[in-house]
Amino acid sequence: MSAVLHAHPESGPALGIDEGKPRRVLSEVGMRGRWWRFVLILAITAVVLVPILVTVILAFTPGPNSTATGLTFENLSNVFSKTLAATWLKNSLITTLATVLVSVAVAAPAGYVLSRGRSKAVSGYSLLLFVMQSLPIITSVVPLFILFAGMGLVDNLMGLTIIYVGSTMTVATWMMAAYFDSIPISLEEASWIDGCSVFGSFTKVVLRNSLPGVLSTAIFAFLLAWNDYLVAIVFLRSNEIFTLPMGVQSFFQQNATDWTSVMALAVVMMLPPVIVFATLNKYFSVGGIGGSLAGR
Amino acid sequence: MSSTTAQSGLARARRGLAPGGSGTVPGKRKSKLSAQATRTFFWLLLPSVVLLVLIHGYPLVYAAVQATHDGNLLQTGNFIGGENFATVLTSPAFWKAAQFTLWFTIVGVFGSWLVGLGLALLLRTKIPAGNTFKVLLLLPWVVPIVVSSTAWNWLVATPDSLIPSMFRNLGLGTPLFLADPTLASITVMVFKVWVSFPFMMMMTSAALASVDETVYEAASMDGASRWQQFTQITLPLIARSTYISWILMTIFCVNDFPTIYLLTGGGPVSATTSLVVLAYRTVFQDFATGPGVAIAFLMTMTLVVISVILYRQIRKSSVE
Repeated sequence: MSAVLHAHPESGPALGIDEGKPRRVLSEVGMRGRWWRFVLILAITAVVLVPILVTVILAFTPGPNSTATGLTFENLSNVFSKTLAATWLKNSLITTLATVLVSVAVAAPAGYVLSRGRSKAVSGYSLLLFVMQSLPIITSVVPLFILFAGMGLVDNLMGLTIIYVGSTMTVATWMMAAYFDSIPISLEEASWIDGCSVFGSFTKVVLRNSLPGVLSTAIFAFLLAWNDYLVAIVFLRSNEIFTLPMGVQSFFQQNATDWTSVMALAVVMMLPPVIVFATLNKYFSVGGIGGSLAGR
Repeated sequence: MSSTTAQSGLARARRGLAPGGSGTVPGKRKSKLSAQATRTFFWLLLPSVVLLVLIHGYPLVYAAVQATHDGNLLQTGNFIGGENFATVLTSPAFWKAAQFTLWFTIVGVFGSWLVGLGLALLLRTKIPAGNTFKVLLLLPWVVPIVVSSTAWNWLVATPDSLIPSMFRNLGLGTPLFLADPTLASITVMVFKVWVSFPFMMMMTSAALASVDETVYEAASMDGASRWQQFTQITLPLIARSTYISWILMTIFCVNDFPTIYLLTGGGPVSATTSLVVLAYRTVFQDFATGPGVAIAFLMTMTLVVISVILYRQIRKSSVE
């Protein structure tokens, strides 16, 4: 790629010199094309967003037994007063928050070693993490279920959190390592000369400059824990221990699905990821490992 | 996103720089520091290793035990060698699920890639409010599968749902999107593409952003058509990223559970049962732990091979 960049270093400026006229013609053609493309992408986006719009609209539409007209918050208040929605939301928040904190706390130091270490053992560990992240979680779920059953960690939010941390740590470590790679070693060397230890330079120099990397990793862990269904369906049994995904699904076990209530809860569930995405989208790395792989 | 950071990391790795290895540190200090570094590295890595052994290592070993025993969720049972594997490999259900998984993966990977590539190319041109569209189009990836599958269910599940009704009103009959085996398979795959194309769009956009625009100016001066520019310049330049995103999406598709299970539950009549869904059902609905784990184990082996190859390829292309 860099070879292409430097192959004709002078071609850019040379082309730019007497291009005044053709460029204006081009830009007029471009303007018309621009609006065509605008219409095209508008249509595509509209179609793509139909399922999400439907969810939001139904959530605020009066239910079958309602007397309300127009848009209403009735479904939302019903779902919180008549079901365990508040408990599920609390469970989801606790599990997710704990997963995020522990994941970063485990992955950041490990990522530092992966980034700075050059021994055989370190690169072997890096490969091991990579292989582990690609394995189907169903393989480890069954043995873990038996192990956790003996320890009282089935139907338990702590058990859930441990598995979430375990499944985020592989990718999270890779993400942190990819970010630490971008922090110049010379900064650390300077601190070592000043008598700082390796651990000191890790916390005071590297970590302090790694907020974007930490945020990306945190977002990744957040999404995994918040969205998980497979681990929850295996490990959670009782209604009051459910996380939101299980809560939403529990509506479908009834004979006639109460769609407006489901959608109200669905909106509650999609709000946190959407808010995180809207405010932190700069740090959003799609699929986590995708970004770090493309980089490393 | 992290491609610029990555370049510098890469450059450093290429020079083979280790901590304290830049020569500005005097020799004596360096060795003292590296002994200290080794010790610190050990402690920094320890929590990660413990978790890896507990959550990944132990279950994998125990899964191997379960796959070769006739036990259940409560006891290990007797050693029966490869009998579970024989049972699985001779059952039509396994091969049917393998076949569905293959199709699901092919459509999931290339369907989402084509859509993602198309949109990334479109969004690279100047469009009014282009960034807004970019953000909005990522929503299917951001919204939890539990939520989107609920919405899709509402849209297509019964003959009276919105989309079947629309077909009926247009005089196109009433398609049973989730009740007809073939149509249900197609619906699940379309749903998967809908969920996954933003990932491909992001990966491709990031790769496209690193392509130098002047290359195209040079190419059009030489009389290359748009299509030629695309196939002979753009695609080769983003090949590495494309390759990585294909393999990652392959892993995502093979391992996918909620996209399928929440939309169809694997039905109708197991038409959309993938290997993961089959493994789940075998263990937790038929309570046949051994065969279920054997299925998961066969998938695991395949994925280990795929990911080791991928890892090698990436390392190789980083060094070049």
